[in-house]
Amino acid sequence: MVVFATIAQASSAREHALDKQLLPGQKNTFFQSIVSALNIPFIILDSRFRVYYQNDLFLKKFNYKDESIRGKLLFKLEGQQWDNEHLKKELKETLEQNRDLNNFELQFENHQNMVLNANCVAKGNRKFILVTLQDITEIKRKQHREKEILKHSIQVHESEKQKLEKAVKRRTKQLEMKNLELARANKELESFNYISSHDLQEPLRKIQNLSSLILKEERKHLSKTGKDYFKRMQLTAHRMQSLIEDLLAYSRTKNAERKFENTDLNELLDEVREEYEEKILEKKGEIVASKLCTAPVIRFQFRQLLHNLFSNSLKFTIEGRAPIIRIRASIASGADLEYNKLNPKTRYCHITFSDNGIGFDPQYSERIFEVFQRLHTVKEYKGTGIGLAICKRIVENHNGFITASGKINKGARFDIYFPLNKL
Amino acid sequence: MKKTQTIKPFIHLLLAEDDKDDRFFFRKALKQLDHKVSLTMTDDGTQLMNYLTKKNSLLPDVLFLDLNMPCKNGLECLVEIKQQARLKNMPVIIYSTSVHNDVADILYKNGAHYYVRKTDIENLVLALDKILKLVEKKELVRPLKRDFVLNVLELH
Repeated sequence: MVVFATIAQASSAREHALDKQLLPGQKNTFFQSIVSALNIPFIILDSRFRVYYQNDLFLKKFNYKDESIRGKLLFKLEGQQWDNEHLKKELKETLEQNRDLNNFELQFENHQNMVLNANCVAKGNRKFILVTLQDITEIKRKQHREKEILKHSIQVHESEKQKLEKAVKRRTKQLEMKNLELARANKELESFNYISSHDLQEPLRKIQNLSSLILKEERKHLSKTGKDYFKRMQLTAHRMQSLIEDLLAYSRTKNAERKFENTDLNELLDEVREEYEEKILEKKGEIVASKLCTAPVIRFQFRQLLHNLFSNSLKFTIEGRAPIIRIRASIASGADLEYNKLNPKTRYCHITFSDNGIGFDPQYSERIFEVFQRLHTVKEYKGTGIGLAICKRIVENHNGFITASGKINKGARFDIYFPLNKL
Repeated sequence: MKKTQTIKPFIHLLLAEDDKDDRFFFRKALKQLDHKVSLTMTDDGTQLMNYLTKKNSLLPDVLFLDLNMPCKNGLECLVEIKQQARLKNMPVIIYSTSVHNDVADILYKNGAHYYVRKTDIENLVLALDKILKLVEKKELVRPLKRDFVLNVLELH
């Protein structure tokens, strides 16, 4: 708008200039000084759109010689840059309606972008059009560049988005596959449960029955060695039965319904302690339990957990040493407990279960929780190697952790952590 | 249809069992007992139903019914038996390998008397002894649900 103000100021000067019928080239007139001060290309057209006057900047900008354009029709100027129907129409209207033409954009063949402003002046019965031009090529270029950059970044964004969408799609597909696999695995497990509970036990039972019939009815036909073989066969069959039953118990621990109940752990402990009373008495053992807490647990599973831990401790005792089992429980936040997998802000029930039995080599502290992992021969200590695996699964069903620590002949210690808030 | 020799004709037992070995074990177990028993056996559910629905067929005092049988399984037989006026009062004892709680529930709801789990012969002998004694005393009635699965270990 500064341009217009300048033109407006210039218009009074122009009157003088026109009055004196100044010709270009005559320097230092009042009018020319003002027009020269205009830092943009400027022309005056007469009422038939012929160039009446132009400043130096105009000549320079469009590479004209003074005499080559004076008096010529604007639209016919060299280079045909001005031969523009739209411009013709606009200028015609400007002249006829005596109005201003604002910010008319022109694109020249040499890729120059110009903004043209025009307004009308009347002198006596003659009419003139004052035209200023502003080169906006750089501005346009910059805008274009910015547009390109924006376009590019949109494209990048789009392609990133598409990549992400693709990844999400792929992941969803993978998850769907996994779900299918899981459903299939569950189904297989169910049929495995059935097979192991029925089909697997069936032939085993027959082997057991037939061998006991032989021992009963055909005893007299058997040598001492024969009888021994049969007894060993029965023991083996019995062991296989235990394995199948324990494996079933293990798989049931995973599939069972999870119903959490706020439970006084002292009650559960008393129930389990009662089961083992005889065995503890027999071994002259002792259970030292501090008062336990109340916590949300799956009752029957937690009872099983305590049951298995007792069974474990009373099995791996040292000959001649009275077994002592110590149980403690406390409630603390993860930050205050010495186990790095805990969430510092969550509150946990921490149960410690320790004994003075044969312990174990610390290098096996992870392995003893694996199914069928045994650290001793069946002859030394009976068992199928599933008890502690069940313990681990039960603790995991409670969203918790169980760790084992120990030293050979120095006893074993189990630490159980599970969160107090349940979903 | 196989009819074995009568051991001591008094209590009439019918066994529906497709497994040859299990029929053998059943006979063996009965032989170890002192009860007077006659035993009829059928190989599967279809044979069993044919036998029971024949006119003038001799209905047993107790039917021992296996679950896993070809053609017609034990549960199907049980349902049919309990729908027929002539048969529905005949005590049916399920004799099967597995004891699934939900299966046991269904069987109890459908009117079975007891559920005897197939284990070793010693246990079968004890279970048969208990049931035959109840039959002799005419006390074989349906127990409460919690006593439905006959836990032979408690009989020791």
